[in-house]
Amino acid sequence: MNNQEKYKGDLLREYIAPEKTENAPEGFTSKVMTRIELETRSIIVTSGSRRKNLVPAISVAVTILLIASTFLIPGSKSDSLALPALSILKNIKFSMPEIGLSSIFHLTLPSVMIYAILGILVLTVFDRALYGFFHREK
Amino acid sequence: MDYKGDIYYIDQILAGNSNSFSYIVDQHKNKAYNLAFRICGNHEEAEEIAQDSFLKAYRSLKSFKMKSSFSTWLYRIVYNTSISHVRIKKKGVLSLEDFPADATDFIGSNSSEEEAEKEYRSSLVNFALQKINEEERGLISMYYYGELSTDEISDVTGITKSNIKVKLFRARQKMLEIIEKVEKKKFIYHE
Repeated sequence: MNNQEKYKGDLLREYIAPEKTENAPEGFTSKVMTRIELETRSIIVTSGSRRKNLVPAISVAVTILLIASTFLIPGSKSDSLALPALSILKNIKFSMPEIGLSSIFHLTLPSVMIYAILGILVLTVFDRALYGFFHREK
Repeated sequence: MDYKGDIYYIDQILAGNSNSFSYIVDQHKNKAYNLAFRICGNHEEAEEIAQDSFLKAYRSLKSFKMKSSFSTWLYRIVYNTSISHVRIKKKGVLSLEDFPADATDFIGSNSSEEEAEKEYRSSLVNFALQKINEEERGLISMYYYGELSTDEISDVTGITKSNIKVKLFRARQKMLEIIEKVEKKKFIYHE
């Protein structure tokens, strides 16, 4: 069925010319593409900033873990920071003058150094891992 | 450059080349814009609706199952976006007095009488279109301007073919009544 037969007797067709279509305005395509580009960029920025917002939370969690590990991982009986630290915790009383901090000041330098070096190494590895995680899309 | 077909560009986009979408927009923008314009009756709003529709299409390109043609799928998005836009921004009802009396009102500085008559008829149809409801506007627009078959309109709208025929018939009748009233008014005006 051709168009002439299709519209036979169709009075409305006398008023409507299919060629009289309204064309999209100048620059329509570029406007759409700009909106798409902006939207794509904002999605990347949003997901990136969401991840970046996690950094302090992760840092706090790791710091707490490291501090907790120094208290909870037992070392040797004679040269361990854990035992004095645990004893400090046990001795803590909630009146400031009675806190027994003397054991900390009696620590020997080598035992502190081991923990410091280990801590630095762990933080370095952690920092590299975070750097790789946040920069992998670039 | 020759258009290589919707599927070719869709594959390119899904492979990560988002710039290929510009070819699709170029190819379909006039039909999309025209449908939006016929439904909402306003150039600025039509542009906004057409742009939004292309954006929606781009976002959900992954979900396009290729069961229907891309143009039918896009038409569905434009149709639904236009209908919901019009429903949100319900305008006041136009009265017959809102339409200019005759073709002389359409004569511009460089247009002939014949061109003015064409312009008059086109505006009269647009006026009548705005007097029927948004769903009927969409159907009339797809059928007459988009030259879609009732099968294709059924794919776009999800309305059965027989129901589309009924709705088209009613919409056509309503429009002809409005046109007749305006023409009568014109006749009285010139007497």
